[in-house]
Amino acid sequence: MRRISPIKAAALAGALALTGGFGGGGSALAEGEVTISHYFSGELGRAGLEKIFAKFQETKGITVKDSPIGHEDFKAGILVRAAGGNLPDVFSYWAGARTQFVVDAGNLGAIDEMWAARGLDSVVAKSVADGATMYNGARYLVPFGYHYAGMFYNTKVMAEAGVTGFPTTWSGFMALCADLKAKGVAPIALGSKNRWPAQFWFDYLLLRTAGPDYRAKLMAGEAAYTDDEVKAAMALWKELVDAGYFTPNANADDWTDASDKVARGDAAMTLMGTWITGYWNGNGLMAGDDYDFFEFPAIADGVPNAVVGPVDGLLISANAPNRANAEELLAFLVSDEESQGTWAQAQGALSPNVGVDESIYTPVMKRALAAVGNADTFAFNYDLATTPPMAEHGLAMFARFMDDPSGYEGYLADTEDGAREVFGK
Amino acid sequence: MNRHAVFWRAALLALPLAVFGVFVVWPLLDSFYYSFTDWNGFDPRYRFVGLENFARIVTDRLFTNATVNTVIWMVLALLLPTLGGLALALLLDSRAVRGANVFKSIFYLPICLSAVVVGQIWIWIYQPDWGLLNTFIEAVTGRPETFAWLAKPQSALYSVIVAWSWQQMGLSMVIFLAGLTAVPADLTEAAAIEGANRWQKTWYVVLPMLRPATVVVVALSVINSLKGFDILYIMTAGGPFHSSDTLAMFMYNESFKKYRMGYGSAISVILFLLTLAIIFFYFRQLRKLDEIHG
Amino acid sequence: MVVFVCLCVLALLFLAPTLGVILSSLKSTREIAFGALWTLPGGLYLENFREVLAHPSVKTYFANTFLVTVPATAGSIGLGILAGYVFSKLPFRGSELLFLVIVSGMFFPPQIVLIPLFRMFSGLGLLDTLWPMIIVHVAMGIPICTLLMRNFFATVPNALREAAIVEGANEWQVLTRVALPISLPALAVLATLQFTWIWNDFLWPLIFTQSDEKRTIMLGIVSLKGQYSVAWGIQGALSLVASLPTLIVFLFFQRYFIKGMTMGAIKG
Repeated sequence: MRRISPIKAAALAGALALTGGFGGGGSALAEGEVTISHYFSGELGRAGLEKIFAKFQETKGITVKDSPIGHEDFKAGILVRAAGGNLPDVFSYWAGARTQFVVDAGNLGAIDEMWAARGLDSVVAKSVADGATMYNGARYLVPFGYHYAGMFYNTKVMAEAGVTGFPTTWSGFMALCADLKAKGVAPIALGSKNRWPAQFWFDYLLLRTAGPDYRAKLMAGEAAYTDDEVKAAMALWKELVDAGYFTPNANADDWTDASDKVARGDAAMTLMGTWITGYWNGNGLMAGDDYDFFEFPAIADGVPNAVVGPVDGLLISANAPNRANAEELLAFLVSDEESQGTWAQAQGALSPNVGVDESIYTPVMKRALAAVGNADTFAFNYDLATTPPMAEHGLAMFARFMDDPSGYEGYLADTEDGAREVFGK
Repeated sequence: MNRHAVFWRAALLALPLAVFGVFVVWPLLDSFYYSFTDWNGFDPRYRFVGLENFARIVTDRLFTNATVNTVIWMVLALLLPTLGGLALALLLDSRAVRGANVFKSIFYLPICLSAVVVGQIWIWIYQPDWGLLNTFIEAVTGRPETFAWLAKPQSALYSVIVAWSWQQMGLSMVIFLAGLTAVPADLTEAAAIEGANRWQKTWYVVLPMLRPATVVVVALSVINSLKGFDILYIMTAGGPFHSSDTLAMFMYNESFKKYRMGYGSAISVILFLLTLAIIFFYFRQLRKLDEIHG
Repeated sequence: MVVFVCLCVLALLFLAPTLGVILSSLKSTREIAFGALWTLPGGLYLENFREVLAHPSVKTYFANTFLVTVPATAGSIGLGILAGYVFSKLPFRGSELLFLVIVSGMFFPPQIVLIPLFRMFSGLGLLDTLWPMIIVHVAMGIPICTLLMRNFFATVPNALREAAIVEGANEWQVLTRVALPISLPALAVLATLQFTWIWNDFLWPLIFTQSDEKRTIMLGIVSLKGQYSVAWGIQGALSLVASLPTLIVFLFFQRYFIKGMTMGAIKG
């Protein structure tokens, strides 16, 4: 080792000289720019954003340098950038535990002043603002769009099966499934290859049985996955799987595959977020004529009515070089009603902007908006409600459950082991 | 003369060593530093936790699982493409084969494709409802087949290995073919005169001559299989529920999905040591081989 | 004849996966979503290719990938030549060990050095340029290039070098005028391998690029896999277009490649 060290020293010196020679290629930014990194890389999202950014550039004279990257790659990419101390000015992120994590790490700049100065209180729907934008007592996140998870179905399949009304109770739901299956239609499609699509089942079953307060405790590590409440929810889920109501091989399909099954009529319905409408519209399906949704049925009495969904947020990093421009961009993105409309239509999202006219929505999205409005609580879906390391354990459990539900009590015990470690119980 | 040699050694080695030292060796050491911390990646603040990460690894079921999978991956990803490539090379070596060059190109083609592309192709092949594989099985057996190759814990890892082998086989084939051209024709002719049949010729005459080619193939296979992360990342990302986790995948998930950079670095160290052990073993075997060949 | 039939069947098996991409690239997203991936397309639907080729980003992706791949391939081979020459013709005490250290570099999974490298390039202010990718690929290519070049130079008779030295040539001249000209097959092997690897890589671009203008083609494919939507047909078309350069390089170098492999394999 000692003999190598002079070589290493020489190597270092050489490399420094080498890299010095490249100088000037750095990331110094010209004025009037703002960098943004986001995960809206899909065809429709990308096109929508291009249009929105173009308008921003035109009206504010600030150039947006954006870099869309797929969902899963985004998660790693943004972490590497945070670890390397080189976050973009603005990045998209999911409101809830993930944003909390970034806030706790001191990577974000608070936006209370900007929020107040731009009067965003009167722009952003209070229900969204309350739950999604405040962390540790300060404001960090600007909501860009949000989604609602419901039971989306193929209207033609339902009509052909003679279904006229949609269930509001669990027994009604079970009867619907039994009915569909008896008529040779697979009732429920699920594509849990990337695991998260399965979480909506866990979320709703737990929320409708044990209620939002218990679920919040579980998400915070104050309740156990081995509790009777969780077991009861899983048992209901197992009943559905055992009865053969789910399409086989859920773990082999992406959420889009499951959506395709419903669109083709191979299955009747799928529990999914409103982005499915963006996907279906993009494939030429008509809201209302080809598809619609109903709300996840009530199960236990006296439980508050909670709806589940994610909020897509925009954050400003703590050391953003173009902070003023970044604030300008965030304020524009949420306040500009035309852009909000463009976005809602491109993504099949709901706009957090109260000024956005309802007429931009499809009939289905109007009903989704009403469903959120009528709910007692808006809860983040599982992987945004609990901390990222815990979410990994839970999501793995859902996938395991969908592969073979019979051992669910054992899976819950394993998950609780993970929870103990994560929450230091 | 000697002074000249010293000058030229330094002059010629300076740049390669500098680049290698700064951009490979140094980052390696830097990453080990974090294995003694509880860094989460986002937070600039972190604590030193001594050997805690390593103590945790020992009891981590997921680590054991990933280690077993890595061994399976390495052994199969070494055997399948090597043996397959050898078989292809031997088939093609019969000089009478018409269109040998066309075949060579076809078998080599997958190497030109990226992991991103190969992964996507094979996801489509393994698709349970309309994938090529199940369609084929249905055609042969006449029964509907909906086995989800990539979604079942018992088959996911192996299914990826098959895709990987498909891609790598062409490279082994080319190298073996190259080795075969070095087998003197008079040697096989002599064997034929002495009454050896095709198999005997291959086994006793040709294969021993392929030893140097095998060395290259094995080296490339090991290198590529340790790097066989991309295709796993695209095809299963270690799933379903960790059944296809390898150490590289496990490290990636712990670091980037669970935000445990310190723990992930500790896994890197283990992976590094494992790699060192393999390299050591391999070079020792090489040396033995050198001694045999003089 | 048996061999020929065997080969035909194998060739078909080998081609089937690639055929899948070609088929997908000839269909609309809607058609694929409705379950017709493997069937023959109804008509010649070239919209995916038109869209891919017309897309301004795709041109940028291609340009970037060339700008990374060509210099990085050349750089890694160049450095491999320098190091390989010393290790084969000018060995010194401990050079064997140093050689092993360098060669062992090619066994490590790159994920290990992801974060440190990112911090380094961030510190140097080189993020979101093409430099990190070029530099990293040069550095990561040194082991294999050194290994192959050393083995190749070992086949160059020492007598040739000594004769040249006696005639007054220095080591540089021996390297460039004697050793290199007879090592063209090795260069072809390395050029093919390195070009393919670097072209197809997506981990480093994923980490080091931030704006769309700096993306490489593989990352372009990955970033088309969006959050809320998929475009398989376009992915298929893009995959095909993206694979063309490596195919061309292989076909172009094929003869030398096989010759080079032969020498490498014999003298491995």
